[in-house]
Amino acid sequence: MFKKLLVANRGTIAIRIIRACRELGISTVAVFSTADKDALHVRMADESVCIGPPAAEDSYLNIPAILSAATTFGADAVHPGYGFLSENGDFAEACQRSGLSFVGPRARHIRLMGDKPRARRIMKRAGVPVLPGSEGTGVTELREAQVDAKRLGYPVLIKAAAGGGGKGMRIVRDANELARLFSLAQGESEASFSSRKMYLEKYLERARHVEFQILADNHRMAIHLGERDCSIQRRHQKVIEESPCPILTARLRDKMGKAAVRAANVVGYSNVGTVEFLLAPAGEFYFIEMNTRIQVEHGVTEMVTGVDLVKESIAMAMGEPLAFKQRQVTFKGASMEFRIYAEDPERHIPSPGVVSNHHPPGGLGVRVETALYDGYRVPVHYDPLIAKLIVHAETRPEVIARAKAALREYVIDGIKTNIPLHLKILHDPDFNRGEFSTDFIRRYEPRAVEAQPAPSQVSKAS
Amino acid sequence: MEVREIKALLVLMRDYGLVELEIEDKKGKVRLVRGGARASIEETEASSADHIPARVATSIKMASRHVEATTEEGSKAAGKIDLQPNQKLIESPMVGTFYRAASPDSAPFVEEGSSIRKGQPLCIIEAMKMMNEIESPAAGRVIRILAENGNPIEYGQPLMIIEVV
Repeated sequence: MFKKLLVANRGTIAIRIIRACRELGISTVAVFSTADKDALHVRMADESVCIGPPAAEDSYLNIPAILSAATTFGADAVHPGYGFLSENGDFAEACQRSGLSFVGPRARHIRLMGDKPRARRIMKRAGVPVLPGSEGTGVTELREAQVDAKRLGYPVLIKAAAGGGGKGMRIVRDANELARLFSLAQGESEASFSSRKMYLEKYLERARHVEFQILADNHRMAIHLGERDCSIQRRHQKVIEESPCPILTARLRDKMGKAAVRAANVVGYSNVGTVEFLLAPAGEFYFIEMNTRIQVEHGVTEMVTGVDLVKESIAMAMGEPLAFKQRQVTFKGASMEFRIYAEDPERHIPSPGVVSNHHPPGGLGVRVETALYDGYRVPVHYDPLIAKLIVHAETRPEVIARAKAALREYVIDGIKTNIPLHLKILHDPDFNRGEFSTDFIRRYEPRAVEAQPAPSQVSKAS
Repeated sequence: MEVREIKALLVLMRDYGLVELEIEDKKGKVRLVRGGARASIEETEASSADHIPARVATSIKMASRHVEATTEEGSKAAGKIDLQPNQKLIESPMVGTFYRAASPDSAPFVEEGSSIRKGQPLCIIEAMKMMNEIESPAAGRVIRILAENGNPIEYGQPLMIIEVV
C-alpha cells in the first residue's frame, strides 16, 4: 500500500485524486505554482509544496521540481492526473528511477501510443481497424502530404504525429487548402510538441467519436468498462460526453469493446487507458488513438458502472490484480458530463477572474467535480476547465431533464461560463434524439467577424 | 507564530464562541477557522492530544501551514518581513531540503552576523540528490537565518536576510 502520494496536477483532477487517496488511507502531497497558492487542491491535501512560478513549464511541467518535492516530502507514489506530464514517457521513467511508483502505464506504452503513426501501424497489424491514412512514420514535407492526400481522396484530416488535444489538427477539403493549412498545422505541432512530423487520415463525414474505457492490471489482464460518446466537441475538444452511446447496439458494443481490449493487450498495456474510435454512420469503426491516462470524462463511466476509476488506477499501480472480470461489469442507467469552462459563451474566449458566488447544484444523480469556491480567483495561466457536472439517471431523457434542472440551478457569479451553451444543446431536437456527429456544435458557433456579410450585401439579401 | 500561541488563541476562540479569527503581526499572518470542512487522518492523533476538538486541531495544522505561505507572499508584496532599504531577502530558487553546511560534520557556511562576500555559498538546497549551493548575491552581512537546517523548502521560501554594504 502506498503511504504518501504526490499529486502532480491542479484543479478538479487534483481534488478527485486527493479524495480517492483519503478513502484509501493514503496521505497526499499537493504541488502548486505561486499562482495557485489559494487553490482548493492546496488546501485539501495533507501537505503542500510550492514548486515554481506561474508558467506551467516552470512548475506543473517542471520534472526536477516535482521529483524533488516528492523525494523531499517522502512520497512513494506520483499520480499525474490528465494534461501536464500525464503522457510524458520521460516523466514516468524519471519517477521509477527515483524510486517512485508512477500511477499510470509503463513509460514505453506512453511513448508508443504518443507516436500516433506507430500506434496506427501496431493496431493495423493486430487486426484493429484503422482509417486509411499516411503509411510509415508520417510526413514532414508538403510534397509527401500532397501524394498521400491524392491517394486518400479529399476531405482529409492533417494531424500531428506527436499530437493530442486538437493541436496541429486541420480538416482539408481540397489541394489549395492543403497547401495553406499544412504549414499552419505543422507550426502548431512544432510549438506544442516540438515535432514537425505530421500524418494524414481520411476524414469521415458524419462520424461519431466513441471511446472505450480500458482497465488493465500488471498481470496482463485487461477489460473494458463500456463506451463514452464524445461527439459533442468544439475545435476537437470535448464539451459533453455520455455513456452509453445513444445509437450503439449491444452487438456493436461487444465488437468494439473486444477490439479495444485487443488494442490494449497487443502491447501489454497496464493501468487505466482509453481507446478512441471513429464510428461511421453505417456502423464501421476505426481506431484513432489511445490515451494512456485517466480522462476528464472518466466520471460518466464511473456513474454507469459503479467502478471508481481513480482508486482502480492506484490499485493497479500497486500491482494488485483486477478485482473483477469482463462479464462482471454491468451497466446501469445513463450518464452525461458537461464541461464547464470559464469562457464567454457568445465569443468563446476565456473569462478569468474572481468567483464572487459559487452555488453548485445537488440532488439525486447530480455530481459536481470542481475546484471553485466563493472568492476564488480563476488564474489566467491554465486551462479554463473549472467544473464538471456529471448527471446520472435511469434513462437518457431523464438525464437530459435532470441536467437542465441542474444547470439552471448552478450559480457561478463573477466570471462568464459556457453554461448557456450547454442549455442550448440540451434543448436541441437532434441532441434529444441522439442524432449527432462530431461537427454538431458548429451550428452554435459564433460567426467570425470577417464572415459577416458587408452592409451592401445585407441590403441586397433583404 | 508558535504552536503554543495558536493553542492559546483557540482556547480564547472556544471560550468566546468565535468560529473564525485572523491575526497579523511581524512574524506573519494566521487565520484560524473552527469546524472547517477539512477532516483528515490525523484527527484521532490530534484529538487525543488535548481538549481541542479534532476538527479545530486539524485547522491548526492547516492554518500554521498557511503562516509560511503568507510570510512568503508578504515578503514579496507588502514586506511582512521588515526589510531595511539596504537589506536583501534570499529566497529558495527551488524545492528541496535546506542545509546550512556542506556535510553533517562541517561547520555551517554562515551564522547570523557573519560577513559575506559576493558569490560566497550561504547554504545548500538538496534537490534530486544534487547539492545546489546558494551563493550570496552581494557582499555584506547575514542578518537573519529564516530556515531550519534539514527542513523541506518550497520554491520562493525565504531563507535568509542579508545586509548589503
